[in-house]
Amino acid sequence: GKNDYDLLVIGGGSGGLACAKEAAQFGRKVAVLDYVEPSPQGTAWGLGGTCVNVGCIPKKLMHQAALLGSALKDAQHYGWNISQPVHHTWSVMADSVQNYVKSLNWGHRVQLQEKKVKYFNIKGSFSDPHTVRGLTKAGKETVVTADNIVIATGGRPKYPTHVAGALEYGITSDDLFWLKESPGKTLPSFILYVSLECAGFLTGIGLDTTVMMRSIPLRGFDQAQMASLVTEHMESYGTKFLKRCFPTKVEKLKNNRLQVTWKNADLGTEETDSFNTIMWAVGRAPDTKTLNLEAVGVKTNSETGKIIVDASEATSVPHIYAIGDITEGRPELTPTAIAAGKLLAQRLFGQSAELMDYDNVPTTVFTPLEYGCVGLSEEAAVQRHGADNIEVYHAYYKPLEFTVAERDATQCYVKMVCLRRREQRILGLHLIGPNAGEVIQGFALGIKCGATYPQLMKTVGIHPTCAEEVTKLRITKRSGLDATVTGC
Amino acid sequence: MAQRLALQRLLSLPTRGLLAPHGRAFGTSAGRRNTFNVQDGSDFQDRVVNSPKPIVVDFHAQWCGPCKILGPRLEKLVAKLEGKVLMAKVDIDDHTDLAIEYEVSAVPTVLAMKNGDVVDKFVGVKDEDQLEAFLKKLIGA
Repeated sequence: GKNDYDLLVIGGGSGGLACAKEAAQFGRKVAVLDYVEPSPQGTAWGLGGTCVNVGCIPKKLMHQAALLGSALKDAQHYGWNISQPVHHTWSVMADSVQNYVKSLNWGHRVQLQEKKVKYFNIKGSFSDPHTVRGLTKAGKETVVTADNIVIATGGRPKYPTHVAGALEYGITSDDLFWLKESPGKTLPSFILYVSLECAGFLTGIGLDTTVMMRSIPLRGFDQAQMASLVTEHMESYGTKFLKRCFPTKVEKLKNNRLQVTWKNADLGTEETDSFNTIMWAVGRAPDTKTLNLEAVGVKTNSETGKIIVDASEATSVPHIYAIGDITEGRPELTPTAIAAGKLLAQRLFGQSAELMDYDNVPTTVFTPLEYGCVGLSEEAAVQRHGADNIEVYHAYYKPLEFTVAERDATQCYVKMVCLRRREQRILGLHLIGPNAGEVIQGFALGIKCGATYPQLMKTVGIHPTCAEEVTKLRITKRSGLDATVTGC
Repeated sequence: MAQRLALQRLLSLPTRGLLAPHGRAFGTSAGRRNTFNVQDGSDFQDRVVNSPKPIVVDFHAQWCGPCKILGPRLEKLVAKLEGKVLMAKVDIDDHTDLAIEYEVSAVPTVLAMKNGDVVDKFVGVKDEDQLEAFLKKLIGA
C-alpha cells in the first residue's frame, strides 16, 4: 500500500506491545512508538508501559518485600532464631526491583526485534488519520504513515492541582518505585487501590505511613463491606488513617520535610503534620493531551477524557482503534489490555471476528491482606437482580498459618453472590486473605463456565488451604447466623 | 581519544624499558590498555571490527547481576595474556543498536571476534577455566 506500515501502535505498554507482536505474526509491517514524558519530579523509564515500570511489577515485588517482613516476625513462633526487630533497607530493595524492571525493558526491546516490529522512541501526534509525526528526545522529527493505527498510550497519575504545593512537593506512584532513598514518613493521599497498596507495603517495610481519605475507600470497586475490611486490617497492621479529611496545602519546611495542612470534614477542624514524602493517588488521567486527537476527530468522553470505543475497540475514526487504560469504560488492567490487543490484531489481519469479553474479569488488590474478586459485587448484583433474587453466602475463616504465628485473622473473609432461582448461578466471588489473587484465579474459570452453587457444593476442597473455604460456603447473610468458621 | 590511542600504540612497541621503573604500574596499565569501553558505533567499527588483534566483546548491563561477576573475571584473564587478545565492553542500554545488531538477547553475552567476524560466543557466567579455554581457542585458532 501507499502507507509505510500496515499497523502503527502508539504506546509500548501492555496493550500496545501485545497488539503489535500479534499483528507481526501475520507477516504484517508493524511499528510501535513509545515515549515516556518525565513526571513532574523528573522520573522516567524504559519500554514496557505502566505495568512493567511503575505499576504491577514493582508494586507486587515491594508487596512481597513487606510480606517477607511479616514472615520474619512469624518465623520465631515456628522455631527460627531471628533477632527482633528486623530492619529493612529501602535502597537494597529498590535497586533489586529497579534492576529487574530494566531487564524487562531490555526483554521487550529484544522481543520487538525478534518479531520484526519496528520501534521508535518518539512522542507521536496525529497530523491526519493515517499520519503520525513524532519528535525524538534530541528534537529530530520522524513521520510515520499507516493503514491502521492503534492508540494505547495509557494513563498517568493525576495531581490535585487545587491543593497549593501539591505539584511541587508531592510525588506519585510514577516516582515512588524509582526512589533511590527511603520515602520515610509518608502520606499516600486519598483512597484508590493504588494508595492502599502503596501504604500497605510501606507500612510493611517499617515506614511511618498515613493514608488520608476524603470519602469511602476503594470507590469504584463498589464494595463497601470488602473495602472496610481491607482498611480495618491495614489499621491493625500499623497504617494510620485520616478519614474524612482532605488536604488544603503542602509547604516545604526548612529541614526539607513537608508540612501538610488538612481539613477534617467530621470535626470541622484544621490540622497539620509534617512528613518526608507526600504521595498522591487521586486517580489516573488518560494520556491524550499531546496526541492531537482533535485534528483527526477521535472522540473522547467529556468527563473522563478517555477515548470512546465500540465493542471492536474502534474509535469514531475509521482505521483508528484504541485499547487499554486510555479507553472509556474498560478495566484498567494489564491482562484485559493484552487480550484486547491480541484479538484486535486477529480481527484486523487474521480473519477472526472474536470480540474481547470484558465480563467476569478477575482482579486483586495487593494490600497486606489481599482482596481478590471476580464477577459482580453484592451491590451490583442487588441492583441488577433485586435483593430477593440473590443469595449471599459468606464466612469468616482463619488461615492455618496464622494460628501458630498468633496472627489476627479478623478480616479474613469470603463472600459468594448467587442467583436464588433456578440453577443458582454464581454471580460473584470475593475473598480477603493471604494469596487471594492465586486463589481467585481458578474460580474465575468456574464463573466463566457458568458454575452454579450446587456444583460448588459438590466440589471437594483441598485441605488445609484458604481456598477450600470457598467450597465450604453454606451460611447465608439472609439467615443472620454467625458466619465464623470453626476449626476442623 | 586520539591521545589515548597514541599512548596505546606507544606502549605496544617493544620498548618496555621506558616504563620499567614503574613495574607494578605497568602491569595495571597493561590491563587498562587491553580493555576499553566502546564509545559509539564508529568506535566499535575502528577498534573492534578493525582490530588487528583478536578481541572479545563483553555485552553487559548496569542492571545485570551476573555481568558484575563475569566482567572483572574476564578482564583479569585478558590482562594475563599481555596483549595477545583485547577486550571491548559494550553497555547494551547505552548502545542498544549495536547490541540489537549483534543479536544480543540475554546478558552477559561475550563474542570472540577476529578480523571483524564473530568466531565464538557464549551467554551467561563462566568460571575461570572455561574462560581461559575460550580465550586460548581464540588466540590459537
